[in-house]
Amino acid sequence: MKFIDKRTIEINRELSDLDRFTIDFINILSKYTDYVIVSGYVAILLGRARASEDIDVIIKKIDFQNFTRLYNELKKNYFYCLNAEKEKTVYSYLKDNLAVRFAKIDTMIPNIEMKWTRNEFDKIALEKTIKVKIQKDLLRISHLELQIAFKEEILKSPKDLDDANHIREVAKDYLDEKLIQKYKEMLHGFY
Amino acid sequence: MGFIEQNEKERKDFVFKWAEYVRTHDDKDWSRQQNVIINSALKSANMTREQFFKMKKETNYVKY
Repeated sequence: MKFIDKRTIEINRELSDLDRFTIDFINILSKYTDYVIVSGYVAILLGRARASEDIDVIIKKIDFQNFTRLYNELKKNYFYCLNAEKEKTVYSYLKDNLAVRFAKIDTMIPNIEMKWTRNEFDKIALEKTIKVKIQKDLLRISHLELQIAFKEEILKSPKDLDDANHIREVAKDYLDEKLIQKYKEMLHGFY
Repeated sequence: MGFIEQNEKERKDFVFKWAEYVRTHDDKDWSRQQNVIINSALKSANMTREQFFKMKKETNYVKY
């Protein structure tokens, strides 16, 4: 794993089934809107020894026309929405600030949990991304400092604290501790 | 140290030990090992849509 600069990581890893699923989805999604991957899959991508049933993705708000194009391409590529079938219903959930889930046909797991920006921190996550190059593909993940702060300050479950500890160790030479503390203070006042 | 505290410490120690391994070894090496966990977990996962949304406590916005 190479930290090329503050905004680029290169991982020459063997792909898991979870990676392939995520890359398939993101390669379609990225044609239609900005996105960022957050939470557990960030730690998994960086080597954490656990699986996950879902991948959390935040997207920039998109209009219905653009969403319909995205939805149709996902369907063409054997994805379906677990929450509803009609694109109007799926879009209405997004508009109501609810997350919608996509999996491959005839499966439930793994799935993408997709929501659009709902607050200041979602916007920060979407603006400050890190590019992770995996072989010929590219995934955009949230700033590691924000992920650590969120997991240590807000979520705090054993799984989340382990994720934060894993990221702290693999990225120990590159993390900005002051930024983690700044995010924690901001999060503390917000949640 | 009680059983729960001991268990937590051992888990935390392993997380750091594994992360150090990831940091200091070739990507192909650690990812091959990690993939055994991920791929087997995904293969053994088998639940219905109802069970899944119940587990996630999201049953109020599913429409089929």
